[in-house]
Amino acid sequence: MAGWNLTGNAVSAEFDGSDEQERKELSVSQAVEIAAGALDAIPQLSVLGEVTGFRGPNARSGHCYFQIKDDSAAVDCIIWKGAYLKRTFDLRDGMQVSFKGSFNLYKATGRMSFVARSFSLAGEGLLRQQVAQLAEKLRREGLMDEARKRRIPVFCSRVAVVTSLSGAVIDDVKRTLRRRNPLVELVCVGAKVQGEGAPAELIEGLRRAAAITPAPDCILLVRGGGSFEDLMTFNDEELARAVAACPVPVVTGIGHEPDTSICDMVSDRRASTPTAAAESVAPAMTELADVLEARHQRLGAAMASMIGSNQVDLEMLDQRGRRAWDTYTARLGDALDAAACRPCLNDPTFMVERRESELALTADRLSGAIVRSVGTFRSNFERLPERLVASTSGLDGKRHALALASSRLEHQGRTMLNKPASDLGRAAASLDALSPLKVLARGYSIAYSDDGVATSAKTFKAGDAIRVRMADGNVTATVDTVE
Amino acid sequence: MAEKTPVEQLTYKQASQELELIIRSLESGDMELEESLESYTRGVELLKSLRTRLSDAEQKVSVLLKDVDGNDVLADGEAANTDDNLSF
Repeated sequence: MAGWNLTGNAVSAEFDGSDEQERKELSVSQAVEIAAGALDAIPQLSVLGEVTGFRGPNARSGHCYFQIKDDSAAVDCIIWKGAYLKRTFDLRDGMQVSFKGSFNLYKATGRMSFVARSFSLAGEGLLRQQVAQLAEKLRREGLMDEARKRRIPVFCSRVAVVTSLSGAVIDDVKRTLRRRNPLVELVCVGAKVQGEGAPAELIEGLRRAAAITPAPDCILLVRGGGSFEDLMTFNDEELARAVAACPVPVVTGIGHEPDTSICDMVSDRRASTPTAAAESVAPAMTELADVLEARHQRLGAAMASMIGSNQVDLEMLDQRGRRAWDTYTARLGDALDAAACRPCLNDPTFMVERRESELALTADRLSGAIVRSVGTFRSNFERLPERLVASTSGLDGKRHALALASSRLEHQGRTMLNKPASDLGRAAASLDALSPLKVLARGYSIAYSDDGVATSAKTFKAGDAIRVRMADGNVTATVDTVE
Repeated sequence: MAEKTPVEQLTYKQASQELELIIRSLESGDMELEESLESYTRGVELLKSLRTRLSDAEQKVSVLLKDVDGNDVLADGEAANTDDNLSF
């Protein structure tokens, strides 16, 4: 057909909108071609959209076909197998994802698609991924271990509540515990729960709450429901670490089920809502009343059984006591009977009578003995004078013999001394005549050397000492010469 | 027996724990009768006090505030509204 421009180089002219050109007709291919060219001219785009209709990679080809949409528009989206293999996460319906790629027109069907070469999580999705990564990091550090979670007392009597004091949540907690258990004392610690600086305020709030004296039994870290972004404060790493390190056990109630923040994961107890958190720290008054009632019953029963068993014991003791007493008194009775049968008690005069008769016998023996003794004594006495006279008859003869012996002894003594006296006189005269002193008196002398009497002149030599004994003394001299 | 703290000076929890101990020792039956009577009297006293406290319990709320020097002080706070219509 004449006038057709088969080269397609007149595209711009066709869009000029002149009446003449409008009348020109194009084949579908040409029209589609024009559209495809126009799409190709669009540079690479980044498109943020929600994934929908995603059914995973095609089983045969491995390519992904789905749609991305926002509130008012949607477009088909394709990710070729090669691009999808390089992904860092799996796509799912509902995800907010940022896609980089360009439009493409599939000429066979004329369908326009956005072909994404790469994609990444965006907005909340990105945040969720970051939160999941932080959770994994803290989990690996052991901050979420069951073993490190502390026991919350069943009945906390003093509870600190760290939350915003201006919101409805603090009233909710107060109201819940007033209804459930007004015995729980609440200490409210105010802190910002969302926005800039909230984590720091909550960390400070936890520190202040833990420092209260006396220390609270637990700390409620609570916040009402909100968007994911609103609750991001409770995914803050520093806050999570402060919760884990808090010296007082922490109970979290953040948002509503099924919201789960990192603070929930590292806390000692996680409740799904602030109300549930408040309810978990103390038993309800009705339970306490039930416990008291049960204790009342047990107290009464224990006392009754105590008294009952004591009563039984007492009765048994009573019976045993009676039996023992009876046995004892019976034994005493027997002993008494036996004693009563003894003759001393049976016939007391018997003893006295026996002694009396023994005494009478003894008296008889005594008087008989005295009479005999006096008789013997008297007869001996009567014979004494004549025996005395008889004993002196030999005395005269003995006196005469004694006088005779005395005169003979006197005479004999004198006779015995006569001869020795005359012998002594003669001996004295002879001794006198023989005395050397008498010779010295006649002029002789005796010479002595050192060795005694010297009978020879050779005894001495010149210079020797010589002593000469005279009748009336001694002369001591030195020898001059010896001839 | 050791001098006992007057019941009214015990906290609810202390009183409750003591009551439980008394009941357990009574239930064990190892006590002298005099001692058990004394314990029983104490138990009844505790029970009565605990019941009273349950029925008369009033919520105590305080608020941790900073004073002019920046130190934390506890100030009395408002107990929960007794009006049971939820305001939120």
